[in-house]
Amino acid sequence: MGQLWLIAFRNLLSHGKRSLLLGAAIAGVTTLLVFLGCLSSGVKKTMLESATTVATGHFNVGGFYKVTAGQSAPLVTDYKKIQAIVEKTLPDLDYVTARGRGWARLVSDTASMQVGIAGVELAHEPMLPKVLKMKEGKLEDLGKPGNILIFASQAKKLKVKTGDNMVFSVLTDRGVNNTVDVRVAGVAEDMGLMTSWNVFLPQETLNRLDQTNDSTTGALLIYLKNMKRIPEDMDLLRKALTDNGYTVMDRASKAFWMKLQEVNREEWTGQKLDLTTWEDEISYVSWTLQAIDGLSFLLTTVLLVIIAVGIMNTLWIAIRERTREIGTLRAIGMRRRGVMMMFVLEAFCLGALGTAAGAALGCLISLGLDAAQIPVPEGAQFFTMSTHLRFALVPSRIFGGAAVITLCCTLISLIPSLRAARMRPVTAISHLS
Amino acid sequence: MKRKEPIYHQGTKAPSEAKKEINLSLKCLLKSESKISLPKRFSLVSWCLGGEQLLTIGFGVLLLLVPCLSFAGTLDKPAMVEILRGIDVRVKSSGDYKALVYIEQHEKDKPDVARDALVYRRDADQKLMILFTKPKTEAGKGYLRVDRNLWYYDPTVGKWERRTDRERIAGTDSRRQDFDQSDLANEYDPEFIKEEKLGNFDVWHLKLTGKPGKDLAYPIVEFWVDEATGNDLKRQDFALSGRLMRTSYSPKWQKLYSESKKADLWYRQEIRIFDEIDKANSTLVIIQSVDLQPLPENIFTKAWLETKSR
Repeated sequence: MGQLWLIAFRNLLSHGKRSLLLGAAIAGVTTLLVFLGCLSSGVKKTMLESATTVATGHFNVGGFYKVTAGQSAPLVTDYKKIQAIVEKTLPDLDYVTARGRGWARLVSDTASMQVGIAGVELAHEPMLPKVLKMKEGKLEDLGKPGNILIFASQAKKLKVKTGDNMVFSVLTDRGVNNTVDVRVAGVAEDMGLMTSWNVFLPQETLNRLDQTNDSTTGALLIYLKNMKRIPEDMDLLRKALTDNGYTVMDRASKAFWMKLQEVNREEWTGQKLDLTTWEDEISYVSWTLQAIDGLSFLLTTVLLVIIAVGIMNTLWIAIRERTREIGTLRAIGMRRRGVMMMFVLEAFCLGALGTAAGAALGCLISLGLDAAQIPVPEGAQFFTMSTHLRFALVPSRIFGGAAVITLCCTLISLIPSLRAARMRPVTAISHLS
Repeated sequence: MKRKEPIYHQGTKAPSEAKKEINLSLKCLLKSESKISLPKRFSLVSWCLGGEQLLTIGFGVLLLLVPCLSFAGTLDKPAMVEILRGIDVRVKSSGDYKALVYIEQHEKDKPDVARDALVYRRDADQKLMILFTKPKTEAGKGYLRVDRNLWYYDPTVGKWERRTDRERIAGTDSRRQDFDQSDLANEYDPEFIKEEKLGNFDVWHLKLTGKPGKDLAYPIVEFWVDEATGNDLKRQDFALSGRLMRTSYSPKWQKLYSESKKADLWYRQEIRIFDEIDKANSTLVIIQSVDLQPLPENIFTKAWLETKSR
C-alpha cells in the first residue's frame, strides 16, 4: 500500500504543472466554500448574540392575555409564580429574567420611528453589561426610571445624543393613547439588524407607558448553562406548567408578534402561555442564513462539477500516457485492484492537498476580513445582520467542507481508474503512446 | 332594479379646490362664515312627527336659552351636557349614510399621499364601513366595524385582520371617530374653561374628561364650541399622561335634510388634523359628498367588502 501512495505522490510531482493547475482549482473552490461558511457562521453568531441580548433568552415563556376575544396583548400576568416553576423545574438553568415587551412610536425633536421596547430590570440582567458596548453614556443609568438606552443607528436616525429628551407615544392594550417622556441614558454600539428597531427601557417606565401593573411582564427569558438542552428543558417546562394549571399554546416557530393576528382571531379570553426558542423569535430573519447557505451550496456544486470534469480529463490523459506502464505493472503481478488504487490515490492526494491549501487560505482571508472590521453598506446589512462583516471559524464546518470536496475528487476518479484496471496487460504493453 | 342616482349636497368641493387651502388653520376659522340655518322643510306637522327633529329644535332653543342658564360668561354642567348632546344628535344619522371622503396625508420626509374613500354608516345598528377607492395601490382596502371590533381587509393578501377601533385610519392622523357618529354626552364629563374668541368666533372652551368605566382613546379632550351654532370648531385630544396628542379644526360644517331623521344631518365638511407629537405630520379630511338614501341590507358584511375589492 505504501508503494501505491509513493507512486501516486511521485506521479503528481512528475506532472507538476498539471497537478498545480488542478490543485489550484480545487483549492479555489475550497476557499470559496470555507469563506462562505465562515460568513454564514459569523451571521449566525451575530444573530445569536444580538437575539439573546435584545429579544430573547435561549428559550422563553411568553404568552398572550386577552381582555376580550378581539383584544390580545403579549403579556404574562402574575409572572413571579411562573418564574418559581421555571426555577424549580429546570436542572440546567443558568438564570431567568423578566422582560417587558412593547411597541411604540419614539419621537425626538426632529424625527420619529416605531420601535420595539424591551422593559428591563438592570439588576436582573447579568449578561447585558457584558454584551452591550456603550458608545456614549452609562449603562447603569438605565436603572433609573424615565431613562432609555438606544443604539447608534437609532441615535443617528433620531438625531439625538445622551441627555436628550424624547417622547414615547402608544395606544395601550386597552385602547387608550398614552405618552411617557424619556431621557437618553446612553447609546450602545449596533449589534446587528435587530438593534436597529429595539430599545431598552426600565420595566417601571414601560409599565407606566402601557398602564400595566408590576406583576405583569412580556416574557420570562430563560438562559441555560448548556444550550443543547433546550428541547429537553422545554418539554420539562411545558409539562410542569400544564400540571400547574396553565394553558400552554401549541408550538409554532414564529416570533411572538407574528402570532398576534392569529391570537386575535381566536375566540378565547384570559391568559395563555407560549414557549419559544431563540430561533423561533428570530425566524423572520433566518432566511438570510438560508440564503447564504443556499448560495454556498449552489456555487460549490457548480464549481465541483467543473473540477470533476477537470480531474476526469487529467486522469484520462495520465492513463493514456501511462498505458505501457500499466501493462508492465500488470505483467509483473500487480492486481487490477492495485492499478485502480494507484489512480484513485493520485486523485485523493491531489484533492487532499488542494482542499488543505484552500481551507487554510479561506480561514486566513476570513480572519483577515474579520479583523479589518469592514463596514457593510446599509442595504446589505439585511443579509449580514451586522454593520460590519463578521466571520466565524467553525472547525466542523471547515473540515466537513474540505472532506466533501476531497471525497468528490476521489469518487470521480473511480471511473477512469476502473477503466485502467480493466486493461489487458498484453494490449497495454503493446500500446504505442 | 336600477338604483336612483345619489343626491349629493350642493356645497361640496373637489379635492383640488380644497388643496389650495392647504395651509389654512385658524385663518380658515377667521374667514369662514357661520353655516347654521333653520331646517329647510320646517313645519309644525313634520316637527310633531319627528322625535329627532324635536331634539334638534330643542337644541336650537337651548342655544337661545344658554345665555340665561349661564351667568358671568360661564356654563353650568347641565347646559354643557346639552351642548354635547346637541352635537351628538346633529351628526347622528337615523337612516343610512354614505359619504365620499378625500384624505390627504402629510408626513415629514415622505411624499404626500391622497386617498379617496367611501364611508358607509348605519348609526341605528352602530355599523360603519370605510372602503378605499383611490389611489390604485390602496383601492379595495377597507375597514368594517362588527360590534366593538374593527376589521381591516387588504385585498393583496386577501385576509382580514382584527384591529382596535382606536387605531389610525390607513396610517393617517385620522381615527374612526372622525368618520363616525359621536357619543360625547355619554362618554365625557364636561368642565367649563372659559368663554373666548377663536378667530372671529365667540366660543365656549370646554374640557371633557372621560367618565369612569368608559374605554376611550383620548381620556381628556378640550372642545371649542361656536356659541352661535353649537358646532365644535376646534378639538384637542390628550393622552392619559396629559400630553397633547392632536389638534383638529372643523372650520366648515354642512347640513343635509334627512328623511329618516325628519331633521337636518350635520357633518364636518372639512377636518384638519395636526399631530402634536410628530409636529410635522398632518391630515386633511374633506367630505366631498353625502348620500342619505337607503343602502343595501347586506352591505355591512365582510363578503360585501370583499366583492367590492375584487
